[in-house]
Amino acid sequence: MRISLSWLAAYVPLPPADEVARRLTAVGLEVEAVERIGASLDGVVAARIVSAERHPEAEKLSICQVDGGAGPVQVVCGATNWKVGDVVPLATPGTRMPAGHRIGHAKLRGVDSHGMLCSARELGLSEEASGLLLLPGDALPGTPVARVLGIEDVVLEVNVTPNRPDALSHLGVAREVAAATGAAVAYPDSGLKQKAPPASAALRVSIEAPDRCFRYAARVIEGVRIGPSPSWLAQRLEACGVRSISSVVDATNFVLLERGQPLHAFDLDKVAGAEIVVRAARPGEKMTTLDGVERTLSPDDLVIADRDRACALAGVMGGGDSEISAGTTRVLLESAWFEPTSVRRTARRHGLHTEASHRFERGVDPEGVLAALDRCAAMIADLSGGTVSRGAVDANPHRRRPVDVVLPWSRPGEILGMPISRKEARASLLALGFELVGTGPRSGKFRVPSWRLDVSREEDLIEEIIRLRGYDAIPQTLPPIASDTPAPSRDAQVTERARQALEGAGFSEAVNFSFVAPADLAPLSPSGGRTGVALQNPISADLSVMRSSIVPSLFKGLAYNRRQRVEDVRIYELASIYEPRAAGSEGDAPAHEELRLAGVAGGRRHPVGWSTGGEPLDFHDVKGALEALLEALGIDGVRWVHGGSPWLHPRSAATIESRDERGAFRVLGVAGEVHPRVAAAFDLPRGVFAFDLSFEELLRAAKLVHGHADVPRFPAVLRDLAVVVLDEVGSGAVLDVVRGEPLVEEVSLFDVYRGAPIAEGKKNLAMAIRYRAVDRTLTDAEADAAHGRIVERLRGELAAELRG
Amino acid sequence: MDLVRDLEALEVGARQSIASASDERALEELRVRYLGKKGEISTVLRGMGQLAAEERPRVGEVANRVRDEVESQLVRARQRIDDALLERELRGSRIDVTLPGRRLLPRGHRHPLTRATEEIVAIFAKLGYEVASGPEIELDWYNFEALNIPKDHPARDMQDTFYVDPATLGSGGGEGAVLLRTHTSPIQIRAMKRAGSPPVRVVAPGRVYRSDYDQTHSPMFHQVEGICVGPGITFADLKGTLAAFARAFFGPDTATRFRPSYFPFVEPGAEADVSCSICGGSGSRAGARCGTCKGTGWLEVLGAGMVHPKVLENVGFDPKAVTGFAFGMGVERMAMLKHGIGDLRLFYENDLRFLEQF
Repeated sequence: MRISLSWLAAYVPLPPADEVARRLTAVGLEVEAVERIGASLDGVVAARIVSAERHPEAEKLSICQVDGGAGPVQVVCGATNWKVGDVVPLATPGTRMPAGHRIGHAKLRGVDSHGMLCSARELGLSEEASGLLLLPGDALPGTPVARVLGIEDVVLEVNVTPNRPDALSHLGVAREVAAATGAAVAYPDSGLKQKAPPASAALRVSIEAPDRCFRYAARVIEGVRIGPSPSWLAQRLEACGVRSISSVVDATNFVLLERGQPLHAFDLDKVAGAEIVVRAARPGEKMTTLDGVERTLSPDDLVIADRDRACALAGVMGGGDSEISAGTTRVLLESAWFEPTSVRRTARRHGLHTEASHRFERGVDPEGVLAALDRCAAMIADLSGGTVSRGAVDANPHRRRPVDVVLPWSRPGEILGMPISRKEARASLLALGFELVGTGPRSGKFRVPSWRLDVSREEDLIEEIIRLRGYDAIPQTLPPIASDTPAPSRDAQVTERARQALEGAGFSEAVNFSFVAPADLAPLSPSGGRTGVALQNPISADLSVMRSSIVPSLFKGLAYNRRQRVEDVRIYELASIYEPRAAGSEGDAPAHEELRLAGVAGGRRHPVGWSTGGEPLDFHDVKGALEALLEALGIDGVRWVHGGSPWLHPRSAATIESRDERGAFRVLGVAGEVHPRVAAAFDLPRGVFAFDLSFEELLRAAKLVHGHADVPRFPAVLRDLAVVVLDEVGSGAVLDVVRGEPLVEEVSLFDVYRGAPIAEGKKNLAMAIRYRAVDRTLTDAEADAAHGRIVERLRGELAAELRG
Repeated sequence: MDLVRDLEALEVGARQSIASASDERALEELRVRYLGKKGEISTVLRGMGQLAAEERPRVGEVANRVRDEVESQLVRARQRIDDALLERELRGSRIDVTLPGRRLLPRGHRHPLTRATEEIVAIFAKLGYEVASGPEIELDWYNFEALNIPKDHPARDMQDTFYVDPATLGSGGGEGAVLLRTHTSPIQIRAMKRAGSPPVRVVAPGRVYRSDYDQTHSPMFHQVEGICVGPGITFADLKGTLAAFARAFFGPDTATRFRPSYFPFVEPGAEADVSCSICGGSGSRAGARCGTCKGTGWLEVLGAGMVHPKVLENVGFDPKAVTGFAFGMGVERMAMLKHGIGDLRLFYENDLRFLEQF
């Protein structure tokens, strides 16, 4: 809401502008900006032309001696619409003109000129450029032009929260200033003069929807002549961001901005049957609103109708048919109280947000309806001629009962944590317009002013008291701390360990939007799959479905970085995915949300350096990272099963499983090379690897605390083993056989070799095995026997051949 | 006494040879030559059998002395050669200590939003708050109604809401609208309902969504919500808590200021400002107006207030018996202020050149 201080000053004495802004912010009407109107004319002063002579070199220029308040000044001027003695605007040297350039000392055709005499257009005041702007002859030279023209003003941009419709007007803000400064508000008198015949003879009003229109009051002004508004009115409206239209419409807007009561003026001659009916719109009823849009109405819309048709969307916007026009002579002026919800629903349904609907939605002062009507009718008669017919036609089916709230005197102190005396509570509330209607030793009963629709309980009164005192007065204390400060939860610890493990493996964290384009998810399930949870009102199709996988966002992240010439990319994200809820699932969350931990990696294994090669990373780099992750979470009993998801390369992908406490394998997730077709869909190069894990499975499987085994006290025996197996035999199967021998303490695979002299289709696996017994020194003979058992099993179970 | 003379001549020769040996191999050859089984000393001693019995001890004595002498000569020579070798190595060409260190796998980086969230949560954990969470796809009731924001209430305009298409929800599309939570405040409600009775003290970070997308608004962003409900909790406790938080997060000299404001789920409601972390609250920096606080010296960072009695009633708490406060803040803003980040979009671009700075 834009509040003009020159206007506000008409109702309440004001401290300086900055102080007004500070006080209003302190009581909860946050001033977001302070704008000086006329500031663009700083440096431009009134100057009297004392004498003039023709420029010797230029026929069209005059050399003027002007009095700008500080002695005579010589200025060269090209205009001709003036005479000596006139007062005109002088832009003194240093002035920055509205067009942007700065005025300096200049020489025009060899003659010194110390400033510029200005037209209205040069000052940004109008399009009038035919000559100098002639100021009133009595203007004192040296006076700032903004002051001479009466446009000097300060406008506050006040952020009025939705609970404070009472502050959406100058009088409303004046009330707050008065309460904050201790001054009194001077309410303007309507000055209404009425004449016979009575308005009721010219107009009938009926309310068919009393649950949606609590009150409808109207006046009739006869013999009106529509014309432009006087400049003081136009300036006030414009300071508040409202365009001046005509004297009648401007009067309604003036009263709207003065009192917060929206009003509407109809051309009474265009109201069929001279009859107003406030009713629900008929199904399919059509009406063209003032913005020229033909609208199809529904019974949910409340309309102001005449005998034949809808003339206005109640509380939102008038209709074109009954609009005030240049030829209007009889005005029907409406001031009403519409039910907020009804107005809001209509405004939203039709995509309209107007000064009127903004206020009705929030609630206007139910007791201010008639005062605003009278004030506006008097203004119309005053500005446009005409006479106000006697009496208002006032349909008021819904008598309002005042709201009383009991305040226990002890309660403010209990809530605020500081003593508030009964005297202070009472004084603050009275200053804000509350009435004390009952008082006792333990509590007082306050009547809420009719404009404060937001106050209904004791907590509301407490806020009133403390906002007037200022929140600064409240001390700072700490609530008593519970003795058992919670330790980080298990989930938090697992999360921290997982992040650290991935960071250790070179993965940086990404954060992506939770919504993606449907086309982003499609390549992940080539068979179609389930449709995800979609938004009804997305910002764009690109952000329209809740992602059922994190992976596409990470693909895009990798592609983005590659476009920035960052080619070695390892990123991960830990976030929820979203899917329709399965029938019968627990809880009342409307969708299935599951935390996933996913990552992508592409580029080189190591950063290029003087000692590292540029070889690309591969499956086993990602596997190593995930092994480190699983180890950090204490998850053992993990197996990697060939084959992942449809979006992974069928050759190089795995499903990662771990054993649960009952010994069954549960899927943790998948990892592998991105399928070439998927890679192409996301503009990725070949050789990008990804993983996608269920973080909830990781949380379930994680073991943060584990036992320990004694440090071995007897020596170990070391033996190497090299076997040749078919290529399709997984090395994991070989290692499992080795580990199956009880005396094996550890086995490490140190070489995998294919090629001559190994037969095609086979590979050589070389392992170092450490044998140890926990209770004795192992003899060579025992170790040889164990080694022999392993070899036999490898031969028998995996058709392995022994080498060297 | 030829043997004695031979031995003494041998000693002189050995001494000269050893002194002129210049490396390990030459020494080893000399050792074999003099002391080996077939070496010169052994050869001399083999001739002892021909000596008279009374001469043998004397010749043996000389032989032993000569052997000891040769051995110690060899040890000293070895020491000399080792010293020379070491000396040469120590004087050798220097390595390039300015060559970059070898980092096979540089550490990954945590997202600045995660860092800020963790820092905020850690501060409240020390004040006794537990971490709570809730669904991002939420029921209208939790996001609005329970928080005293009824349907068709203008306060709903404060948050442009994304609604979920009910046809895509499967069995989750029951009665009531389903939306993307517009704030973390519904977690207040869930936390209080889960606790069942006061006291409740939780802090709840998470993603939130509003239909607003421009230079300074992202349709997805992050908040941290906090709530403290119990008997006798006051507005003064709220002020003290947020002041302590601000000092912990922005630095010990940070001041806080509270102004009346409106959030439907608190009453009285407040907005909390902290002294500008960039200009230290002076409003100017290097002689110019501080751009971060626009010259005011203050930054709006927190919405807060006393939990509205209707909210307490909605979760089955008795507002006559318990009171509480709630607060919320935007994680992006906190991270931007902390690191001087000017552009919101950097958080979601996932440009490694940005992420690697944290």
